[in-house]
Amino acid sequence: MDNELNVDVRKRHPGGPEIAAALRLPLGAHAVTVLFGPSGAGKTTVLRLIAGLDMPDTGSIRCGNEVWFDAARGTRLTPQNRRVGYLSQDYAIFPHLTVRGNVAYGARGGAVQDLLARFDLAELAERHPRQLSGGQLQRVALARALAAQPRLLLLDEPLSALDAPTRLRMRADLRQLLDGVQMPAIVVTHDRTEALALADSVAVMIDGRLRQAGAVESVFDCPADADVAAALGVETICPARLVSMNAGLVTVEIAGVRLEAVATAGASADVFACIRAESVTIERNPSGNPTSARNRLPARIVSVIPEGPLARVTLDCGFRLTAIVTRQSEEEMRLREGEQVTAVVKATSIRIVPRG
Amino acid sequence: MEWQALWLSLRLSLWTTLILLAIGLPAAHWLTFSPRRWKFLVEAVVALPLVLPPTVLGFYILLAIGPHSPAGRLYAALTGGMLPFSFQGLLLASVLYSLPFAVQPFTSGFAAVDRKLIEASWCLGVSSAATFFRVIVPLSIPSIVTGMILSFAHTLGEFGVVLMVGGNLAGITRTVSISIYDDVQALNYGAAMHTSLLLLGISFLVLAATYGLRRRVWAVWPPYGQ
Repeated sequence: MDNELNVDVRKRHPGGPEIAAALRLPLGAHAVTVLFGPSGAGKTTVLRLIAGLDMPDTGSIRCGNEVWFDAARGTRLTPQNRRVGYLSQDYAIFPHLTVRGNVAYGARGGAVQDLLARFDLAELAERHPRQLSGGQLQRVALARALAAQPRLLLLDEPLSALDAPTRLRMRADLRQLLDGVQMPAIVVTHDRTEALALADSVAVMIDGRLRQAGAVESVFDCPADADVAAALGVETICPARLVSMNAGLVTVEIAGVRLEAVATAGASADVFACIRAESVTIERNPSGNPTSARNRLPARIVSVIPEGPLARVTLDCGFRLTAIVTRQSEEEMRLREGEQVTAVVKATSIRIVPRG
Repeated sequence: MEWQALWLSLRLSLWTTLILLAIGLPAAHWLTFSPRRWKFLVEAVVALPLVLPPTVLGFYILLAIGPHSPAGRLYAALTGGMLPFSFQGLLLASVLYSLPFAVQPFTSGFAAVDRKLIEASWCLGVSSAATFFRVIVPLSIPSIVTGMILSFAHTLGEFGVVLMVGGNLAGITRTVSISIYDDVQALNYGAAMHTSLLLLGISFLVLAATYGLRRRVWAVWPPYGQ
């Protein structure tokens, strides 16, 4: 394809795990791709390899018709010749230059004043970086990167240097800014809510490997395996045995408890059942009313842990199942440790992934 | 007091400092950022003047620039003159002798520049050379000034190397420290006293300026008992 970033590289840092990443990113779509994974998965390394700040051991990186890196042909384009806008975690604003000096530093063309205005920096133009807040520094970094007219933006944990309230505010702002710049971007994060807020598509990286990539909903709703599910923060992941398959539904057994789920392709006898805490409903008394939910499990409450406006309820229904309910529901239903309730899970909310 | 010798010393120090600035900045850049494994050997060579007796260094320089050496013959062919016992020869010796006093502060200044700033500059399309002058040098100004002041002061006070390479020719190679030695040899203690005092004063001022520049924030301890 002409208009895509095509990365297929391997890199081993001395003493570290091998990073292997194969990634295709359409450049015309102006989409935000989130590179998601736990700390230490190698996400930053992949970003640095694309930017040209580190060189892979083998493989190739192509951008459109240009070859940025090719181990076989000995091609190694310097960062200067790749024209990517790279934002490191702490923004790396030049401390000896004003806001204007920073934005103008690598500017091509005369768009500095426009960018200052667009990023709400016009009034701060003559300030020095030490007089700016974290959120303002981030805007300077973004404006500075855009002034150099890059083809691609790379953002490494763009919100991690901010304090918690600013981070919440900037999460929405950043998505708007990225929408406004009309440029494909790769954003590295280990935070699930950040990924959901920023991404159009997501690539999940675990232990140096790219494990699953796709549209954000499809990856978060249908993790390819138990590791990806765990990385994405799916609360309940239980080994299960396939009992029967019938009309697009499967029955699996977890520790003697039978559950119905929607069948997925390639399911073998040994599987994992992945259940998001949001999909688990708790009922106090069996109502006897007909319900569409296929799975109703008698359960004992193991613990109730408040999390802001929500409460995380751990249930024992033969296996451990986590549910998230609002604090209000928790109060009204008087959910207490040791009490018997019914856990309700729809068949469509149970994701079956192959084991091993 | 020997004003001629003082003037010569100041001239020598100034030229030495300027030459060290010109060759010390690229040398320090290479020492800081080169990926070569053997660069520690170059670091050791640059630091040699710190530990070698000035007479040893002076002796080797004298051999290296003597009229029968390749360097000496080349210099004679180009200029018709000789390096030993000339101001130019003295300048060469001073530059070598003060090299670590410039290169080491430069290197530590460059190494303290956050690597992320340098990488940010590269990603903005700015070449390595331009990054050096637009990011690394501006952020290393205190270290560069320190290196220049130390080179100047060190050259002003040098004695052994000057004596070995330059001898004692009034107006050409007789620096202020040699004139003090001469005065003492001639039991002319009054003149030696005046010149020494002047050198002491200059040296103190130069070093005070260095440490003053280095200390960006003045830490003041609270008085006891409060």
